[in-house]
Amino acid sequence: MNNIFKFSFYIFLTLAFAWLAFVVGAKNQYGDLEPTAESLEEDGSIAPDADLFPKAMSGLAQLGAKEYLSLGCATCHTQQVRSEEAGFDVERGWGKRPSVPRDYILQDEVLLGHNRVGPDLTNVGLREYSNEWLHQHLFMPQSIVEGSICQPSPFLYETFDESEENTIETTLDGQQIFIKPSLRANRIVAYLESLKQDYELPEIAFSESIDDADLVAEATDTNESATEDSDTAFPTWLASQMDSGKDIYQKLAPGGGMCVTCHMPTGLGNKTAGIPPLAGSDWVLGDKERLIKISIHGLMGEIEVNGEKYIGAMNGFGQTLAAPLDDNQISDVLTYIRNEWGNSASSVSAEEVAAVRDEYKERPITQMWTTAELEKNPASD
Amino acid sequence: MKKTSEQHIDQSAKLAFSFFIASAGLWLLAAALLAYIAAAKLTDPLFLASWEIFTYGKIKIIQANAFVYGWGGNSIFAVSLWIIARLSQSLIRGSTFLIFAGTVWNLAITFGLFGILDGYMLGHELLEMPKEVWPALFVSYLVISFLILVVFRSRKQSTTIAPQWFIVAALIWFPCLFIFAWSGLEINPGRGTLSSILSIWFGQNIIWLWLTPVALGCAYYIIPSVLNRPIDKYYLAIFGFWCIAALAPWSVVHHLEGGPVPMWVPAIGTVMSIAMVFPIAVASTNFHSTAFQDISRVWNYLPLRFVIFGTLSYTISSYIGVIFSLPAVAKLTQFSIINEFHFNQRVYGFFSMIIFGIVYHILPQITGREIGTAAKNFHFWTSAFGVFAILLAYLIGGLTHGVLAQQPSLEWVTVIESVKPYFLITEYAFIILGFSQLVFVLNLWKVLVPNPFACCDSGAKQKTA
Ligand code: HEC
Ligand code: HEC
Repeated sequence: MNNIFKFSFYIFLTLAFAWLAFVVGAKNQYGDLEPTAESLEEDGSIAPDADLFPKAMSGLAQLGAKEYLSLGCATCHTQQVRSEEAGFDVERGWGKRPSVPRDYILQDEVLLGHNRVGPDLTNVGLREYSNEWLHQHLFMPQSIVEGSICQPSPFLYETFDESEENTIETTLDGQQIFIKPSLRANRIVAYLESLKQDYELPEIAFSESIDDADLVAEATDTNESATEDSDTAFPTWLASQMDSGKDIYQKLAPGGGMCVTCHMPTGLGNKTAGIPPLAGSDWVLGDKERLIKISIHGLMGEIEVNGEKYIGAMNGFGQTLAAPLDDNQISDVLTYIRNEWGNSASSVSAEEVAAVRDEYKERPITQMWTTAELEKNPASD
Repeated sequence: MKKTSEQHIDQSAKLAFSFFIASAGLWLLAAALLAYIAAAKLTDPLFLASWEIFTYGKIKIIQANAFVYGWGGNSIFAVSLWIIARLSQSLIRGSTFLIFAGTVWNLAITFGLFGILDGYMLGHELLEMPKEVWPALFVSYLVISFLILVVFRSRKQSTTIAPQWFIVAALIWFPCLFIFAWSGLEINPGRGTLSSILSIWFGQNIIWLWLTPVALGCAYYIIPSVLNRPIDKYYLAIFGFWCIAALAPWSVVHHLEGGPVPMWVPAIGTVMSIAMVFPIAVASTNFHSTAFQDISRVWNYLPLRFVIFGTLSYTISSYIGVIFSLPAVAKLTQFSIINEFHFNQRVYGFFSMIIFGIVYHILPQITGREIGTAAKNFHFWTSAFGVFAILLAYLIGGLTHGVLAQQPSLEWVTVIESVKPYFLITEYAFIILGFSQLVFVLNLWKVLVPNPFACCDSGAKQKTA
């Protein structure tokens, strides 16, 4: 005890042991969980056509998670359904099953929380709240839930006396008013709508206390609302562009871009195969003209994305894949990749694509760009 | 002869001590105001609702940070500086560095809190301040604790005693905790709920391994020195110390019971929390069986009254804490406002009360001036009452909350309606505590920064003395 160095060393050790166990131990145990199918084949493999869970949130919802965090909603709301031995959460209807570690692996912000002044929100996306209700609630919970102490966020809305485009009717102090959600409010609501653990995993099945018939009904319900969700989260014009973009991104048949085969459903690419990520990429979020050029003619050579170097080549989609993409399709898929996986940037219009195509119509369609060329030739945006 | 050397030491510590405790006072007031706003927003959610910076989540978080790092940090520096210097019988050197680093510390917290208000909150418990301020906090902390540890190294007596273990350990634990947490949360973040384990580990350990040991160290220092009798069963103290060191880092994760983490994590936590009865019993025996031998002195010497209030509340509430970590009970109360009980008891009922006491003990020795008895008594009684009211409200409220939450048939708002009266009590209690602390801080400042004439006067007096 009398030698400060020895003493410091011992008390350092006391911490280090606990840290090693909890961090290194736990990381080894479940740090490399991956999305998986609801149930595995007999040999433990994943069926090739199986849907994988958990699914990544939409880009809008991921941004919503950040807003939710920054407003401190987690001081009152947890996001964990406790196991049935440890709590009453399933009984209370807060989830169809307890949460497991795998449910959270794709979330940037894991907000388990440990105070429940408000109800648990793990599955708030499964409750039958309309998009409007969630906005009304976010704006002023007291106006629709009497006696609520959920914190109002009127600063996220513009208020009007008359109905206008994209406004939602609600009441404030007993008076009818109309509110227009800001981008931030839309993000939060998209996030809330995306909160759902409505799938089973090999390690956890739905709790038995839940009626089977209920479950089927609810499952179809949620599927419907899931497709609706992405619509309602964006303004209509953007939503349709996003939908079609997503389609092109994923489609392997003519009319599709097959992007998914290389850049993966997560937008994270594949480092070992030399495929750069699209999520968070400057190339995607930055200068539009440059992005359009890459899309039309393709790209080859060394490229640095998110601080990592990749070498490879990608054909332009202006040239024949299965069938070339037209201006509309390119603008849709670019809009989509600029707003998915946490990306958020302005949309790309067909006119912009047409303008670039026109400007470089002399360039052979098969001549891919190199990064050197693109940098030498800084485009004006 | 000995007396003058003590005066020398006090003189060398005066500047840095005054700086830290004066800043601590300001943070305490800020935290008290924020605590009131947060409590008021629970009873009336429309209070200040139209400003984003006053939204409950942000206020609540910056309150905790202002309290722990602002008030807690500064007062830890102040009291450990003085106690270590006194026990080592060596002078404090490098006051300018201490004050410079202290200024950086305070500025960094200020920026951090504004960062949170501006929307840059991180999602880790008590690490919510934005990334950018942490290097500044960390480096200024290292400078301060290094200068204190240098004093400890140059001590006249090579054997060490309990207050030194606790305080030195706390000084060293904080940077270790920070490095561990930071490496796993920001430098090489794990996916999914791995970060949640680490976040709760850090947030709880800051209280258990930083605030708690300093307060225990203060109690181990002041009780024998004022009562002039050795700590009863002192041989147990070392056992208590190593128990805390060995158990606390494991026990804190019991808060994850039932959550989406490997089962063994909360299971270890629960076992270790139960084992915590040993160190609690040790500290309690040491303090109380010593203090109760001369209870009239404890009662009459106000600093000691504060300290014993703190140690009693530590004992009682820690036992309550152990009970609430039992799985059967945790099932009900794990996420209820019982958590507020734990937090407030630790930072107000235990840590702050002991710091108040120790500050009242040190001030006259360092400045040669006393705070009026009436003010001190007012401070004691209002604090004691306020803390008591808050703890009781959160305890009963937490039980109500937990029991009702378990009834699936009750709407959630109904559950909350029945907890509201307790929120109202805490709101009033925070007002009382706010006034109590205002009196404390005003008097503190008056003693530390008297008008210039009084200053020369007392300086002259000290010289002649
Ligand atoms: C003071 C604590 C508190 C804070 C902070 C808080 N809430 Fe709540 N929340 C509640 C309470 C209490 C309820 C239950 C009453 C109700 O439905 O309004 C609730 C209910 C909700 C519900 C309805 C859930 C359901 O299943 O019925 C949603 C959605 C919600 N909150 C979202 C939020 C968001 C988003 C934020 C951050 C801006 C937030 N809350 C911040 C206390 C809080
Ligand atoms: C055959 C695999 C493949 C397909 C299919 C593919 N890409 Fe790529 N993509 C790549 C490679 C390889 C690079 C890196 C090229 C280099 O190294 O210069 C790249 C780079 C990019 C880049 C610039 C770098 C970055 O990460 O931001 C964008 C944008 C991009 N691809 C978008 C798309 C879109 C949109 C689609 C679908 C319409 C798509 N890609 C289809 C392989 C592919």
